[in-house]
Amino acid sequence: MATNLVRHLFGGAARSWARNIGSTAPALGSMTLLLLMSGLVGLAGFALHNLEQVESGQASLLHVYLRDDAKPPDVASLWRHLLSDARVAGVTYVNKDQALERAQRIPGLPQLADATESNPFPASLDVQVKKIDDVAAIDALVRYDVAVDPVYPTSYDKGAYQRIQAVLFGTAVAGFALLGLLGFVAVTVTMNSIKAAIHARRDEITIMQLVGAPRWMVRGPFVVEGAITGAVAGVVAGLITFGLTFAGIAAASGAFTRFAPGITITVAAAAAAIVLLVGLGLGSGSSLISLRRHMET
Amino acid sequence: MRPIVEFAAVTRAYGARVALDDVHFELLPGELTFLVGPSGAGKTTLLKLINREIRPSSGRLWVAGMPAHLIKASRVAELRRRVGVVFQDYKLLPRLTARENVAFGLQVGDLRVSDEEARDRSLDALEAVGLGDRGDAYPHQLSGGQQQRVAVARAVVGQPQLLIADEPTGNLDQETAWQMMDLFEDIAAWGTAVLVATHNVEIVTRLQRRVLTLVQGRLVRDQPAGRTGRMAWLASS
Repeated sequence: MATNLVRHLFGGAARSWARNIGSTAPALGSMTLLLLMSGLVGLAGFALHNLEQVESGQASLLHVYLRDDAKPPDVASLWRHLLSDARVAGVTYVNKDQALERAQRIPGLPQLADATESNPFPASLDVQVKKIDDVAAIDALVRYDVAVDPVYPTSYDKGAYQRIQAVLFGTAVAGFALLGLLGFVAVTVTMNSIKAAIHARRDEITIMQLVGAPRWMVRGPFVVEGAITGAVAGVVAGLITFGLTFAGIAAASGAFTRFAPGITITVAAAAAAIVLLVGLGLGSGSSLISLRRHMET
Repeated sequence: MRPIVEFAAVTRAYGARVALDDVHFELLPGELTFLVGPSGAGKTTLLKLINREIRPSSGRLWVAGMPAHLIKASRVAELRRRVGVVFQDYKLLPRLTARENVAFGLQVGDLRVSDEEARDRSLDALEAVGLGDRGDAYPHQLSGGQQQRVAVARAVVGQPQLLIADEPTGNLDQETAWQMMDLFEDIAAWGTAVLVATHNVEIVTRLQRRVLTLVQGRLVRDQPAGRTGRMAWLASS
């Protein structure tokens, strides 16, 4: 029974799909494009999400720069004052040597550090604020303290985090809109290709129905055909997504820079697998909708 | 004996036009019955009601133990598997050989039938209709009469309780038409109820079987087997 089931559903569908490849090609192309875009936009979204997490963490870390001639009792007083504040999660003292060492790890800054004989980087109190919204208040609290550098008191950049969030939100909206449009096109084209297949085989369908073929046996091969289209598109799009990501990671590692936050080979492989699954779902789903609309019971 | 088909006050209308009007009759197992009447009398509508291609507008209709007037779309296939159908235009699948067409009719109804069993039973059915040596031929390689025989083999291979045929001799010459009728008599002799819609007056009058006569959607005569019908002329109208 299982053999017959597989043969009727999958064997017949595979033969029919191969026979009708010409009429399926537009659906295959548009779905591949959609899935490729989905994979790339998905990876970009994941990277942006990670970037937002990093930025959020960095934005809630306030560097309070100390005067070079600040007296230790004044620094200690400021430190205690900050630690006693309920909005502060922790305070770390970073001396000038540590600041220089940290700067040398940032691309571009080692040359600047080496250009001067003295250490230009100030000591600081690194304040981890519990809520990002309280960073401005902490900045206002410490900005005019006697131990703080009056010229460049803190790392606080009003609105920087909000600007990043606005850019990320805009990017996400644009990404979803693009995917929605491509999804609509792919589903429509796939539905039309299944409609054409139903039309081309209407005599066969009628005969099957009249001799008592159950509904799943009549409709099943069309759903499988749609799933095959989706799977093929998914495999192609998944491989391209994986290949492009792999190439990006390899190129970035060669240049000693990071490709995109959080994007690894494992993530790329997972994205390719998701693209394949989405393709399967999209293909079979489009077929089901088309069958409901165009096949009489 | 329990009827295979039971029409009780069945009416079918297409909009304002009544195609079948208050029809009552029963078909018993092993009975070969002709359905005659002029074009547009409602013969095809009656057959479509039996095969549940359409629903009655009113009345009750039982087919092989199933209430065709009530069953949902999901159970239509089950009903159709109890009814063998022969069409005027054969309706064979062109990509399948004669044997595969017959086996298809079998395996569509029951996926538990193995390939070997399907092959043996379809060859037996083709043998029974006189086409045991043409199993590997495709429909386009067969004559009209041979294609109709394949269609009969497909219709009976699942051993249905009822066989309905819509103008099965319409595309056949007289000699082949008689061969087809011999086949239907054999099938009825096996215990299957056979209902044949036809215009062939010679066959109807010579075979002396039960004749149902439809005129303008009404069953105007139910003539028992063994009598020459006065209204047999209607078959050729």
